[in-house]
Amino acid sequence: MSPIEFLQGLSEMEIIGGLTVLSLLLGGIIMAAGIIVAKITKILFFKYYAPTLPQDTAKNFGKIIYFGIIAISFFIFSSSQGFDFSGLLVAGGIFAVVIGFATQSVVSNLISGIFLMIEKPAKHGDTIQIPDMGISGSLLDIGTFSSRIRKFDGTVIRIPNEKFFTSNIRSLTASTVRRAEAMVGIAYKDDIENAISVIKNEIKLSMPFVLRIPEPEFRVEELGDSSVNIQVLVWHPRDDWSQAQPILLTVIKRALDKSGIEIPFPQRVVWDAKD
Amino acid sequence: MSNDKDQSSFSKYGLYTVNENLELTLPETMIKFERIGENAFSYFRQDSEGKIIEKMIPATSNELKIELAPIRPLNHPARRTGYVFLKFDKEIYLSQSSAASIFVHCPIEIGIFLIRDTKRESLDWVTCNPTNSRFGLYGSPDTGTLCKYAEVSLATDFSDSIPYVEGVMKIIVENNLNSGQTVSKVIFPITDNSLYYDDSKSVLDGIKVTLKKRAVVSVADVQTDVVSTDWTKSPTWEASTSNTTMEMGLE
Repeated sequence: MSPIEFLQGLSEMEIIGGLTVLSLLLGGIIMAAGIIVAKITKILFFKYYAPTLPQDTAKNFGKIIYFGIIAISFFIFSSSQGFDFSGLLVAGGIFAVVIGFATQSVVSNLISGIFLMIEKPAKHGDTIQIPDMGISGSLLDIGTFSSRIRKFDGTVIRIPNEKFFTSNIRSLTASTVRRAEAMVGIAYKDDIENAISVIKNEIKLSMPFVLRIPEPEFRVEELGDSSVNIQVLVWHPRDDWSQAQPILLTVIKRALDKSGIEIPFPQRVVWDAKD
Repeated sequence: MSNDKDQSSFSKYGLYTVNENLELTLPETMIKFERIGENAFSYFRQDSEGKIIEKMIPATSNELKIELAPIRPLNHPARRTGYVFLKFDKEIYLSQSSAASIFVHCPIEIGIFLIRDTKRESLDWVTCNPTNSRFGLYGSPDTGTLCKYAEVSLATDFSDSIPYVEGVMKIIVENNLNSGQTVSKVIFPITDNSLYYDDSKSVLDGIKVTLKKRAVVSVADVQTDVVSTDWTKSPTWEASTSNTTMEMGLE
């Protein structure tokens, strides 16, 4: 049997409703070619163009290109076989309503993901905080349906895009510098100016990541029950939070201890009526 | 700061050859090279903050050649910027359409370079004045420029360098505006400024600051002004890149 006769034989072997073995084979070849082209295009895209794009955008563009080419292959296959989808439209419409109700959260996440990609409230690698959820960490990616954040304890949390989009997002790396704050109470008998001066000197000496400009700021925040409360505010490069905030109170206490300035315990003076 | 007598006992900038052991002394800093094998040396450094760095250096020959040279003040406490913010201890007043040339002390760090053939490889760096090596911000917190900050004093000339701590930089300020101006600070990217050394003194390429009008805004344009000197040019520390990839698991 010659190849032409073999193909003719296949074209006469009908499976269902005009669909022959040959057309199915042809469709398989078109789809396989489509998948191969999609994969090659995706690889070339990631090799040559993706490095110039933000990581999230590159990832999502990669997906759009890959599935787009496969969808086009399917349409080529279906149109080559003369499939008529008009019959499916009515049934599809009803089906779409049912599916729509069932998958509204999925669609909502997808739409939110698209808006997140357009708005870009944060990008890959940014340190962010979502106060509503009590989550802080480094943004790994904004995907089609969800976003992933690596928390400071090393674990990765996945947040559906709908929740991520509607939450308050605090970016901790958007500015060049950040501010660390601490509150300390000194005894009423001690001189406030002196306390501020010794704290300032100790910060200057032992905190290399604290900025000289803007200078550390000191505010007498409250004349409290037991102490005069002073707020200390210092600026540091945005990536060096760990060199400022966690050690600020230690440095303040050391400065006050060295100068003999008292940090009082909570105390209450009780007057006896007979006195 | 050490006095002149102490400074005479410190190691000078320049080239050194390590055959067996070599000890370099800088203000409050100790550097030691020791032979630990036929073609291997150890490196030890203790700085003024008590921090100790130890490294092992496999050598391609029987000896090790190193260079001690001043470098740009960008590494301590961590490399975060290429900009420097110099705040003058005395403001400079310039009348309209006038120019002035001043010398200022500019902080430096010291680099230890390995010499392989004609190439200089960055091995380590130290600062002899860590308490004055701090950051400052020029501009607002969200859009400002992070800089290395230093309060600087005027120098008399290029020979007025403070050994191991501050080099001398020439700043030319030109006022092209039609009113007198006071200059109290200058912010510029120092990555274009080379350093030169002689004995234990150092100078940096200068800058030219031009106060001029751009549209309706008065601006200060800062350009690098290469210094003409016969002192030895320092190798560039920043040219070397650190390898950030890691491949492990073979056992």
